[in-house]
Amino acid sequence: MSVQKAEPVFERPVPSMGASGWLAVLVLVLLMVAWETWVRNEGVTPSYRNSDGQWAEQRRRINHGEGDAWVFAGSSRVLTNMQLAVWERLDKRRPLQLALEGTSPVAVMEGLADDDSFTGKLIVGVAPGLFFSGYELRASAISRYQEESPTQWFGDQVSMLVEPYLAFYDNDFAFPVILRRQPVPARDDVIFDLDVRKLFNTERDRNSRVWDKLVYDQNYRELFRKIWAQNWTPLAELPPPVQEKILESRQKQLDKAIAATKKLQARGVEVIFVQMPYEGHYATSEVDIAPRELTWDVLLEQTGALGLHFKDYEEMQGYRLPEWSHMTGEEADRFTEAIYGLVQRELAARKAAGGNS
Amino acid sequence: MLFNSLTFVIFFIVVLLLHNAPFSWRTKKTNLLIGSYIFYAAWNPPFVILLWLSTLVDWRVANMLHLETRQARRRMLLAVSVVVNLGMLGYFKYGGFMLENFQSLMELMGIDYQPPDWSIVLPVGISFYTFQTMAYSMDVYLRRAAPAKSFLDFALFVTFFPQLVAGPIVRPTQLIPQFRLPKVATRQQLTWGFALITLGLFNKIVIADGLLSQAAEKVFGSSEMLHPLDAWLGTLAFSGQIFCDFAGYSTTAIGVALCLGFSLPDNFRFPYAAVGFSDFWRRWHISLSSWLRDYLYIPLGGNRKGNLRTYANLMTTMMLGGLWHGASWTFVVWGALHGGFLAAERWLAAHFGGGTFWKRWAPRLLLALLTYFLVNITWVFFRAQDFATAWRMIDTMLTFNMDGKKVLPMIEVMLVTGVTVAMLAIHWFMRNRYLHDVATALPRWLLACIWGVMLWLIIITQGQSSAFIYFQF
Repeated sequence: MSVQKAEPVFERPVPSMGASGWLAVLVLVLLMVAWETWVRNEGVTPSYRNSDGQWAEQRRRINHGEGDAWVFAGSSRVLTNMQLAVWERLDKRRPLQLALEGTSPVAVMEGLADDDSFTGKLIVGVAPGLFFSGYELRASAISRYQEESPTQWFGDQVSMLVEPYLAFYDNDFAFPVILRRQPVPARDDVIFDLDVRKLFNTERDRNSRVWDKLVYDQNYRELFRKIWAQNWTPLAELPPPVQEKILESRQKQLDKAIAATKKLQARGVEVIFVQMPYEGHYATSEVDIAPRELTWDVLLEQTGALGLHFKDYEEMQGYRLPEWSHMTGEEADRFTEAIYGLVQRELAARKAAGGNS
Repeated sequence: MLFNSLTFVIFFIVVLLLHNAPFSWRTKKTNLLIGSYIFYAAWNPPFVILLWLSTLVDWRVANMLHLETRQARRRMLLAVSVVVNLGMLGYFKYGGFMLENFQSLMELMGIDYQPPDWSIVLPVGISFYTFQTMAYSMDVYLRRAAPAKSFLDFALFVTFFPQLVAGPIVRPTQLIPQFRLPKVATRQQLTWGFALITLGLFNKIVIADGLLSQAAEKVFGSSEMLHPLDAWLGTLAFSGQIFCDFAGYSTTAIGVALCLGFSLPDNFRFPYAAVGFSDFWRRWHISLSSWLRDYLYIPLGGNRKGNLRTYANLMTTMMLGGLWHGASWTFVVWGALHGGFLAAERWLAAHFGGGTFWKRWAPRLLLALLTYFLVNITWVFFRAQDFATAWRMIDTMLTFNMDGKKVLPMIEVMLVTGVTVAMLAIHWFMRNRYLHDVATALPRWLLACIWGVMLWLIIITQGQSSAFIYFQF
């Protein structure tokens, strides 16, 4: 039996590069030092990246023996305004922070409703424009929790080892992000949305505090206000098909939230809805897109859950919101303390009255 | 496991250390094999079983084929390998597609057929390693090569992590002999290996993901008729993205293997400087095109059975090549267009290709630009999620209907234009050159600066560990 002679084994040609590799490392080190210095000069302090893996890690704590804890869900207002350390000081136990910026918490509620290991208490932030739109900027975090591969888990663990030491390692200072923010002339007829900038710093367990720059840099603050208000059109002035779509989505989110709440309540989980303070542009837009009587009131009425609206409680008013929506760190400490007291008081009152608690 | 992930960085450091530790060659190969399984299992552990199945079947089949002399029995053995490998591929990759088409066929016949739910996860890299193991059995069947003497060498050939999930699709004769004798990278190989890894990751993280993907997504994600400039820029962005993504993966794979002392063949040779489609396929995904040539086109008769049959063989090969990329008719059309262009080029070359005119610089540049233009037309079908999107794009790209919607902001226009012009210039400059020759010719300080800047851009781009496009194939 014959076998044709095999072709010679390929050997890859290799250039002689001398010490180029070491010199390249030197170039890299110099550039990295310069870059890190520039980012720190922009006021950035190293913090965690608030990655999908970090959220998934916190979410898994419910399945790993902490299912009876207080859990915070919501969007960025809950993330920045609810300070875990303050709550822990008052309650003797640190809550879990599951709020996701730019994301309606309804999907998180549904996940918790389907998870029997969650038996604790749930505070859900209702930012009307997001909550009832179903918009989910960070849907990938929920998928990560559901489908995380071993390599993703490991990669996140390695990443979180270095995140608190490197200021440049921040999504908002990635090279393509900076490149796309360069002032170039606008193109005719193209709607160009300014993307949301760095808003807060995140700690290991996702406790987050608004970035100081919003407090001391007026231009940055104004930029944020411009971003929040850009391209906004009152609901009534939108084309009828768009209006219809928004109203449909609003009803759908409301129905989903009610169903998830009832499921949680049936298991003995206390669900508390909170509308945190907003002002400026949001004072107009939030109520326009989701009028209280058609959304918030219906949610509370249908679920019988406790609802804390900032307009109803003095303790929830009078906080400084640099860009109309989020509290500075100190204000958030004060707010958390106030809302903790309020929650305890209202729950006790409901219990005394024989309400749903 | 993705090359562009921190997990891989740690994994590779451990593998390199073990490979350079004072172990026997057999132990080192076993380490590489275990490492390769970990590399694959890190994504979805149960799918390692498929890898084992493919390995065991082709090992056994090839050994029996080698000893067997009866032709009918040899054919049957080969059929076992082909059925098992294509069966796995068919089940995981084409099951849903076949059901959908069957349902449409039934509908045409007036029969209301509701197929079962077919939500099956596609095992990553299955199209690559099934082709690689099938090539092994076919080579033994065709007596082009003897089977591997060691099961360890064969298992490592199937599983070798640098090229396991997205190629290059390596032939047994290219890799198995390299496992026979101890191999550790020399200092020069290690340095060049790291340089290639840097270049590959730069292509993927900075260019494909960082600079081009947004424009391509915005344009191909639009459901409206677009302005021709936007449609063209979106297509050019995808054209650059898919090259930088896939060539980036191959270059990284070659660099990773070289750091371990192994040589993988080139998979790309600056394809956007191709003059004609046959030249393009000698430069684009070389390991697949040569696989299709050797195991499909030539067995079909190649160009040995007359002109008409040659054209038919070209079309069949390229359409199946298209289908290899994904279970969708848009991929088949992509393949058919390439087949058609190859056939047309063959006919034109036979009738008008004589003389020296076409060998001059300017006509060749024109032909290269024409090739690039046509390749971009084919990419529309490759990238579009459905025919409606593809036709809409082609319509506006070819008719220059200026009423379409503009969706790309100025910064994307600038990025795509800049990257495309730079990429075409580099491809044209490198058309007849080799990277290692250029690296040798460059002053070392300049080489180091380019390398250092690429590393810096990779790090500050902070890639999101997004999967390589070809993983889905």
